[in-house]
Amino acid sequence: MKTVSHISDGELIERSRTGDTHAFTQLVKRYEQLVYGFSYKVCRDKEKAEETLQDTFINVYRKLSQFNGESKFSTWLYSIVTNNCLMKRRKRKLDTEMVSLDDPPVSDKHEQRTIPAWTDSPISSLMNSELRARLDKAILKLPMEYRVVFILRDVENQTAEEAAKILKLSVPAVKSRLRRARLFLRKELNDLMVE
Amino acid sequence: MMAKKTRTVHRHHSLHCADVFSHICENLDADLDSPQCREIKRHIAGCPDCTALLDSLKKTVYLYRTVPIPTIPASSRRKLYSVLSLETGRRLK
Ligand SMILES: [Zn+2]
Repeated sequence: MKTVSHISDGELIERSRTGDTHAFTQLVKRYEQLVYGFSYKVCRDKEKAEETLQDTFINVYRKLSQFNGESKFSTWLYSIVTNNCLMKRRKRKLDTEMVSLDDPPVSDKHEQRTIPAWTDSPISSLMNSELRARLDKAILKLPMEYRVVFILRDVENQTAEEAAKILKLSVPAVKSRLRRARLFLRKELNDLMVE
Repeated sequence: MMAKKTRTVHRHHSLHCADVFSHICENLDADLDSPQCREIKRHIAGCPDCTALLDSLKKTVYLYRTVPIPTIPASSRRKLYSVLSLETGRRLK
C-alpha cells in the first residue's frame, strides 16, 4: 500500500471528489502552508491570512470538480487565493492607502542623475524590526494587482507564464507590472539602504 | 533595436541607460547570452548608475525573499479543520 506522501496530487484530488475526506485532508495538509504563507505575504497580517486560508480551502472543496488537471494544482490554488485577495480588497475599499501605478509616479526612465549605491553590509544584520516594518509598509502601498505579481514572480518563484495564468493576464502585462512593482519597492526602501 | 556593434572605447554609450534600465527591471536574474544581453552586460559594467540600479533591485528582491514569514499558528489550523469539517459534513483531522 502506498504511503500518503507518495500519492500524487491528481490521485488525492480524484479521491476527494468521490467524497474521500481522508484524501481531502491530505491535500489540505500538503498545501496549507503554501496558502497561508502566500496569503500572509500578500496581506502582511496574520488574521487576514487565517481568514484567506479558510476561504481558500472552502472554495477548493466546493470547486474541486472544476479543476481540470491541465494546470498544476498549486497554480489553481494561487489563483483562488488571488481572487480572494482581490475580492476582499474591493469589499474593504483599501485602495485609498495604495498608490496608483497606472500613471506611474515611478518613472521607468532615468529619474535621478546619479543612482546611489546601496549598502553592502550583510543584509541579515538588517533584518531587524525596523526593516521588517518598512518592508511591510512599502509592499502594502502597492496596488494589489502589482503586489500579487511581485510576490508570485519574485518571492514564490512562479514563471511569468504561470503568473499570467493565475492572474488571467498576458505575459507582457505580467512583465510590465513586475517591472513597475520592483522599481516602486526599490524606491520606497532607498533611504534605508543607501550607504 | 539593437545598437550596432562598434569597436570603440565608448562602446557602452551606444546603448542608453533608459534602454538598459527597462531590460534590467525585467530580467534581474536572467543570465542570457544573446548578443543583445552581452551588449547590455558591457554597458552595465561601464556604467555606475546601471550597476547601482541592478544591485539595488536585486537587494530589494532578496529582502522580500528573506524576511521571515510565519508558519500557520496551531489555533489557525484548528479553525481551518473545524470549518472544513462543517463544510464536508465529516470530521477532518
Ligand atoms: Zn547606464
